[in-house]
Amino acid sequence: MESVYLNHVVHRLSNIPFRTDFEGEGAALIVKLVWDWRFARVYDENDHLVDECIWGGKQTPDTLADRLIQLMHGRMSVEARTLGDRFPDSESHPPTSIQSWPDLTSNQSDLLQEASLRVAERGVADAASNPDSRLEHLVQATEEMRNAHNTLESRIVEWAGLFLPSLDLDQQRSHIAPAFASSSNLKEAAVLLDVQSTEVEVGEKEWRGIQSVAKSTVNGATDIERMEDSVRELSNIHLPSLSLLLGPLLSAKLCTSAHGRARLARLPASTIQVIGAEKAFFMHIQQGTPPPKHGHIFQHSWISRSPKWARGSIARMLASKAAIAARVDHFGGEPWTSKQVSEVEKKVGEIRARKSRR
Amino acid sequence: MQSLSDRVQIRGRSLWSRNAVKGTSLRGERLKRDGRKEWRQWNPRTSKLGAALLKATKPDFLPAPGSMCLYLGSGHGTTISHLHDHVCGTKNHLKGCVIAVDISSRCIRDLIRLCKTRPGIIPLLADCRSSEQIVPFVTKRVPWLFQDVSQSGQVEMFIDSCNQFLAPDGVGLLSLKSASERDTKGAFAHAEKRLLEAGFTLIEKIDLTGWEEQHVLFHVVF
Repeated sequence: MESVYLNHVVHRLSNIPFRTDFEGEGAALIVKLVWDWRFARVYDENDHLVDECIWGGKQTPDTLADRLIQLMHGRMSVEARTLGDRFPDSESHPPTSIQSWPDLTSNQSDLLQEASLRVAERGVADAASNPDSRLEHLVQATEEMRNAHNTLESRIVEWAGLFLPSLDLDQQRSHIAPAFASSSNLKEAAVLLDVQSTEVEVGEKEWRGIQSVAKSTVNGATDIERMEDSVRELSNIHLPSLSLLLGPLLSAKLCTSAHGRARLARLPASTIQVIGAEKAFFMHIQQGTPPPKHGHIFQHSWISRSPKWARGSIARMLASKAAIAARVDHFGGEPWTSKQVSEVEKKVGEIRARKSRR
Repeated sequence: MQSLSDRVQIRGRSLWSRNAVKGTSLRGERLKRDGRKEWRQWNPRTSKLGAALLKATKPDFLPAPGSMCLYLGSGHGTTISHLHDHVCGTKNHLKGCVIAVDISSRCIRDLIRLCKTRPGIIPLLADCRSSEQIVPFVTKRVPWLFQDVSQSGQVEMFIDSCNQFLAPDGVGLLSLKSASERDTKGAFAHAEKRLLEAGFTLIEKIDLTGWEEQHVLFHVVF
């Protein structure tokens, strides 16, 4: 980007910019450096223009959009830097601080309108590259699919029980949906499940209804598995240390519940411990019920497989380790290895041993 | 019928703005033909500015047509579209400008679609709390600033943005949702105190009860 600037110093009131009657030496002239996307200017303490440097590059909506994004990130324009070098003592001020700052011409505001549209479009497009929102959709979708699957599954089990009275709904539960999905009528399904069928005639259309529920149950299970695989994949990339410590699925869940990795990394460990137990937590605050010992983190086998009296302590310790792991992931630390995880596991064992002695 | 301007009217109990894009209704609002003009109903339930115009004793706080407005927390653009009707008009023949700032890319997405048919709206994906993201787009102080962000610390944000962007004698409007503040009950009194301390002249405190619960719109002059 080339820039053309006025080489001459503009003297509006020649006696003001370069006064020599300062008392004492080294009293610096107060100069303000002000810039927007069009140009950069230097003003003296009475807001008189001292020097100016104009953006002389090719002005298209795209080049302006690049420029605006730079400025939005708090960077100086090329012209501002040029003037900053020329007036090293100048202080930066926003253009709104200068009353006489020129208005946009009609061409310029059309250009700005067009460019700001591109800036906004790029901003919206960038949102797609945000792993937090992608993880959120994946985790929530998996959750919703699981809910739907559970509802359908219990429906098909009850439905099957209605027609096949001698079917053991607990022992054979997992075989019911596949058997119904792969049979072409009720008798066939009964044979597959090795039970007696009822004498009731099931019509063609009703059977199709039963079968479609059975089929969606069977397909739903594989779909959920596929979804969970992709959650694991993304979580392992986005939260490597946390995934190693807590497992990718639980890490992803914590990250979504905390509204993103950036926020998770800033949460205190005590909050991470009770994420997912909001209802119990606010009951505790408002009504003084006992506080929850664990939220989502309970799903980790170190807690859920521990005896009840050790869970609180383990959850507290694990949550503080999880907080560290999340910070390592977010602030670009060296990812954890199995060494750190095995240290945490050792501590879990210690807590269990200590608690059981009492 | 009460005219708030050439392009915004109160008829009976409803508010109407002159539709800048004839024949299109954004969210299923009623359209009404009146000779060559077309009026679009401004629903006070979905727009706090609309509700305030209906509830204020002196609804004279709309910006001048053709001026530059800064709208912080634009949402999906319902109010923005009516503001555009008023400030810019069809194909922006009034040469106005509405800078619509929101932090959510979901909302900016809708605004981008909106500004394709309504030139004069500048959608800006930025955080209202950091003025440096807004400065590149607002080079002159604006005569009209509206803030509706519904998050904790709304008053301080409003004071900061006014100090940075609002012109002397400019109109500042703060839509305050008390439920967003920690101290829900004292939120309005605290806000009033802070605004007066910051040197604003409070013109009216408009209670939006009836249209929007627990909301008060502060109309101040800088």
